[in-house]
Amino acid sequence: MAPNIDKEAEHIRDKARKELLGLLEGVRGKKNLVIGKDLTGGLGLFVQFSQLKEYGVDKVFELENGNTDSSQRNIVYLVHGEKPSLVQTVAEQIKKLQKNGSVEHEISVIWVPRRTLVSNKILEDAGVLGDVNILELPIFFLPLEDDMLSLEMDETFNDLYLRHDPGPLYLAAKALMQIQQRHGLFPRILGKGDNARKLANLLLRARKELDADEAATQYTSMPSTSIEQLIIIDRDVDFATPLLTQLTYEGLIDELVGIKHNRAEVDSSIIGAAPQQRSQAGSSSTPPPPAVRQGFKRKIQLDSSDPLYEQLRSANFALIGPHLNKIARRLESDYEGRHHARGINELREFVNKLPTFQQEHQSLAIHTNLADDLIKHTRSDTFNRELEVQQNIAAGTDPIYQHETIEELIARDAPLSTILRLLCLESAVAGGLRPKDLDSFRRQILHAYGFHHLLTLDALETMELLQPRSSASALLLPVGGGGSQSEKGTKTNYAYLRKGLRLIIDEYNEQDPEDVAYVYSGYAPLSIRIVQCVLQKQYLQSLHKSPLPLTSSSTGWTGFEDILKSVKGPTFTLAQKPTDEKAAKVKAALAGTGVSKTVFVMFLGGITFAEVAALRFIGRKMTESGQRRKIVICTTGVISGRSIMDGVIEKSNLASGITA
Amino acid sequence: MTNHNPRAGWEKIGDQFYQKIQLYESIFDPDLELENYLVAGAPYGGALALWRDPAKIARYRTGQSAKPTIDIYSSSGKLISNINWEKGPIKGLGWSDDEKLLVVTEDGTVHCYFGLHGDFQPFSLGHGAEEFGVKSCRFWSHGLVALLSNNALIAVSSFDEPRPRLLAQPPDGEVHSWSLIPPAYTLSRSVEVLLAIDKTIFVVDATEAEDRGLSDGPFKHVSVSPNGRFAALFTEDGKVWVVGSDFQNKYSEYDSKAKTTPTQTHWCGNDSVLLAWEDEIHMVGPNGAAVKYYYDDQVHVVPDIDGVRLITNEACEFLHKVPDPLEDVFKLGSSSAASVLLDSIELLEKKSPKADENIQRIKPNLPEAVETCIQAAGYEFNQSLQKQLLRAASFGKSVLDLYSSDEFVDMCEDLRVLNAVRDYRIGLYISYEQYLRLTPERLIARLVDRREYLLAIKLSEFLHLPLNKIYVHWASQKVKASSADDDSIRDIVVERLRGKPGISFETIARAAYNEGRSHLATSLLNHEPRAGKQVPLLLNMEEDEIALDKAIESGDPDLIFFVLLELKKKLPLAAFLRTISSKPVAAALVESSARIEDRELLKDLYYQDDRPVQGSNLLVEEAMQQPQVQAVIDKLKLAVRLLTDTKDPTAVLHGRALTEATQLLKMQEAFDKDITDSSGSYLGLGINETMFRLIKSGYSKRAAKVQSEFKVPEKTWWWVRLRALTAGRLWGEVEEIGKNKKSPIGWEPFYNEVLGAGNTRLASSFIAKCGGLQPAERIEMWVKCGMVVKAGEEALRAKDTNALESLRDKANGQQLVEIERMLSHLRPKR
Repeated sequence: MAPNIDKEAEHIRDKARKELLGLLEGVRGKKNLVIGKDLTGGLGLFVQFSQLKEYGVDKVFELENGNTDSSQRNIVYLVHGEKPSLVQTVAEQIKKLQKNGSVEHEISVIWVPRRTLVSNKILEDAGVLGDVNILELPIFFLPLEDDMLSLEMDETFNDLYLRHDPGPLYLAAKALMQIQQRHGLFPRILGKGDNARKLANLLLRARKELDADEAATQYTSMPSTSIEQLIIIDRDVDFATPLLTQLTYEGLIDELVGIKHNRAEVDSSIIGAAPQQRSQAGSSSTPPPPAVRQGFKRKIQLDSSDPLYEQLRSANFALIGPHLNKIARRLESDYEGRHHARGINELREFVNKLPTFQQEHQSLAIHTNLADDLIKHTRSDTFNRELEVQQNIAAGTDPIYQHETIEELIARDAPLSTILRLLCLESAVAGGLRPKDLDSFRRQILHAYGFHHLLTLDALETMELLQPRSSASALLLPVGGGGSQSEKGTKTNYAYLRKGLRLIIDEYNEQDPEDVAYVYSGYAPLSIRIVQCVLQKQYLQSLHKSPLPLTSSSTGWTGFEDILKSVKGPTFTLAQKPTDEKAAKVKAALAGTGVSKTVFVMFLGGITFAEVAALRFIGRKMTESGQRRKIVICTTGVISGRSIMDGVIEKSNLASGITA
Repeated sequence: MTNHNPRAGWEKIGDQFYQKIQLYESIFDPDLELENYLVAGAPYGGALALWRDPAKIARYRTGQSAKPTIDIYSSSGKLISNINWEKGPIKGLGWSDDEKLLVVTEDGTVHCYFGLHGDFQPFSLGHGAEEFGVKSCRFWSHGLVALLSNNALIAVSSFDEPRPRLLAQPPDGEVHSWSLIPPAYTLSRSVEVLLAIDKTIFVVDATEAEDRGLSDGPFKHVSVSPNGRFAALFTEDGKVWVVGSDFQNKYSEYDSKAKTTPTQTHWCGNDSVLLAWEDEIHMVGPNGAAVKYYYDDQVHVVPDIDGVRLITNEACEFLHKVPDPLEDVFKLGSSSAASVLLDSIELLEKKSPKADENIQRIKPNLPEAVETCIQAAGYEFNQSLQKQLLRAASFGKSVLDLYSSDEFVDMCEDLRVLNAVRDYRIGLYISYEQYLRLTPERLIARLVDRREYLLAIKLSEFLHLPLNKIYVHWASQKVKASSADDDSIRDIVVERLRGKPGISFETIARAAYNEGRSHLATSLLNHEPRAGKQVPLLLNMEEDEIALDKAIESGDPDLIFFVLLELKKKLPLAAFLRTISSKPVAAALVESSARIEDRELLKDLYYQDDRPVQGSNLLVEEAMQQPQVQAVIDKLKLAVRLLTDTKDPTAVLHGRALTEATQLLKMQEAFDKDITDSSGSYLGLGINETMFRLIKSGYSKRAAKVQSEFKVPEKTWWWVRLRALTAGRLWGEVEEIGKNKKSPIGWEPFYNEVLGAGNTRLASSFIAKCGGLQPAERIEMWVKCGMVVKAGEEALRAKDTNALESLRDKANGQQLVEIERMLSHLRPKR
């Protein structure tokens, strides 16, 4: 029988853990583990440090620190093999260990997710290939939640849009292929955007390669009966959304504190130091990074393992206060319950529940403090200024009116990332800045933040995040179906889509929102609207004033093709036909029709937590309206405007070499 | 019916039966002097490798090629191939489980022959093998250990990726004999070697050489049982000891009474030991019971997992313990249910009613009897006996009400396969036990290696195994052997393999390429959908551009990068850059990797592509790493020079900014010299920050100079001043500025910033200057400064009774009186 699609996240987690532990077991005896920095965090998603210990891991080092010692004969490297520079580092460290160690080391290298030709070559050139035992750990997607899989790659955004590196696409294809190999082909692949198209092509190609592969025996080229479709969204069809400040609780934590691999590092002055007994579940459930000096930060786990957080994460931040209040009151009354306990039995019941109460209590304390701290930010003058500008731009007022505010923010030394987000947002929504304005802002930024930001600005331009508008709106995509094919548009036309897909919802019920727009307090993310074009046609029709060419049985992009022409990049639908039609029909008939089907939504280039909240919201709405569909969110990584800017902004200044 | 005696060749040793059966007869040319040959046989009844020992004198025969060869035969004596061997004396000749022939020379080179037809891959043992010379070798299913003349031991545990490892150094002294325990059977899961040195045995693994403290040596032979649990030791005085391989227990002893040491000692299965002299064999069973066999000629012993093959010129025999089911059925006087079942078949054929009587008698044990008959059929070599046993089983199960026939069906299928490959024309005489361990897949692989394609395909279809590898092997042979022209071969191959799943055209193309038929290889490769397979071969074939295109098509960054590395090594720089310039993906990869590793290449790339801005950015990055101001400035100047020739607006903008940057750096350097307060260096700060710091430290004039030098806009200038002065708490200067009539940023920022810094008095002085505010806002502003009365006045002016009343709550003492007064002012009018 086909494996259960709902348990995919669990399966991936188990498989990754088993494979890693199996590899570690294969290296006999005690060993030191050297992990690449980009893997340390992700590892915590499927394995606990204590388990590594059980499998003979003595000390853990970070590759980038280069401080691996010779305290164990066995040394195991666990490193991403796709980046030649990392491979180079590994090669050099191995050489060093061999040269100056008094011990003769047994060295194993585990390449994640695969052993590459380039890594072979680099190790060979370094003269160490013959001395090391090479293994591979094929992990691609890591589950962040049961409905969310991520490649957890930090650099994807820059790889895709700055360096045009095909790496993330290839890995995404591999990851999706693993799902197809287990559950059958995606019966339909829908997509929007250039990279989405490339990814779909890679998937088709991978299927062909697999057909030719003598080793792939389990694989059958049958469409899955439990998966409905795959929807691929290229981030660059909608750059505006991540540039806006997310206003869900989780989104805001990510914007202001930063969440990585389901964990946030919060100043312990805000949430208090980690209590002792929680150490198991909290801070040390992951391999502690070798440098333990950061005594002022405390790691907190932010995922559905904390039921309180699960309630809060997707809510608009404005409602967090009341929410927390309600929970506090309920907890209190639960505690009070002990006074009403009659007889031993009820008392025992109460005592049994105590640990849960305590846990909830602790979590409540953390989130109250954290929310309090966030409110300090959201009440600040600059934050509100920023938000106002964002919402005005998103709502389509002439951005020129916002320029004065932005200039003032520059003069007031607001963080550069804030300024750049606003300018990039304007560029995205309006199809670029007027050249004169752009030049002026460039100059102001260089003056205010230093000339080294020439590099920052150039990078943004390469990424098409911050651009001059060439002439009026020639670069914008044509409006709806009217545009002939010859008109070449290369940018998403927000002005048109704002109406066509009702991106702005001015009034909504805060307590019980009807529309995804609540995640940005009134702006419905375009990326999500595009997904709704497939999944919630009737709902979008109800927002749209004039009737769309829709029937109740429309599938795919039907009804929205014209509107989507105003979004950058190709819109496509591919049906994956079985090699054996008859067998597939029989299989489909056997599977029956009553079961719910899963829709995979893949965000290439990253997804924001606000968008995640919106997709989950859609999922709930669909269930409420009786649609038997589930959404599984896939992405290359979680991003936010903050992380995008962090990745682009030049860190060293012109005097870095002198002061260093 | 046959008269074949099922007990032919049975011998009882102790309480166990052993059987020696002849598999094939007249296998070798009688002229072949087997005694002069080194013979090694592959496990699981596999091929035999014969190599003429040059140390022995050979009779000269005309017509025989003088070239030394290693000859590979099947068990039935069918010559499979000759491998030319001109690489000197052989110190080790052995086979792996997958029929790779390993030939080890004295200098430590291992030739690993795969596929039985002379294709090989050499590798070197290293670790001083060349210097000291290899003395001998021992093999196990997928590895080998070599003993050097200095007693060093080198182990190789995989032939796919051979990685020779030095084991712990054993002590010096003559090694009388040695053997190994395969890794699968040791506690440490790595190979252990037993060395007979002096009077004892040393056990050597990767970390230590441990003396087992025996004193009855020297041991002339050491041999380990197939399951690794026992060792047989042959002492100088002609005795055989069987001990546990951990040397804790001694199980049996046998005195051969022989004056000469046997040539070989092997295990036959796991419970008996075979001593072989040239023409005599002693088989020692448990408890020291033995049986002797005599031959006319030299006999070679080839051990296997469940018995041994005995090879002479005349025959190939198999000697093994009679498997339990066979013994159960056929033992003389056996009264087991299975035996009765077999008897009843004969009775049935005679239409005797006793048949049914028998069946009824054994009915309670009938299921076991059926099973035993099925098993026995599997172990039986004689086909008519197999049939009879199966017939008995069939009869038995027909009497049973509920019986799953799966086992019966499977056995019938297995036997068909076994009998097919045991045919002398194929010569794979494999026992049922061996077949189970070898697996059908690997048996098929052996057939393919013997180029028995038709049989391989028929059997695969019969067993529902994939056919692709057979086709690929066939096609590769076709490509190698055929003399037809390229296109017609390709057409034949493609035609035959069309629509078949899992066909690796890469393997076929590689075969073609190795034959020197590159054109054919290229055209075959076009049928290979897997880029990962295409690309490396294309690179080998020097089809670089195609390789790069295919790699890009695949979207696999590793492949693309791999090709690029190769190309970069091969091509001159200009040509390399030209190649990638038309391929954006490749160019992007080169660019991002060169950014880390090879900046000079990047400069060339930008120069060639005429991208001055990028070129200048590189220099800016370098500038940021320079340790001295002058060096930074020099780099920036270089960058500016790159930009001067173009009229591209971006370049112009960059040029201007960089010129400004140098100017700023020079000024900052001067500030650093003049100002030595604790605020740190000015170098690298932005203009706004520079002005801010200057003002805050009290150097407003210098700040003003910076402002005019860089034409900082008034608004910015005012904001910076305001922030810096409040940050430095230079209230005097703030007041001074407050005397201005107008401010380009309005006066509210002054109020806010000063208030934020806690100076309510000064903050309040700006309230009056803020125009365009609602009274309510002003009231709020006054209140924030703690000036309730002023706020009251504002409210009075606006005639706002409500505001006044709310102010009353905040007021105290004198303020309260004032507010009351104002309230009363408003009241009468009402």
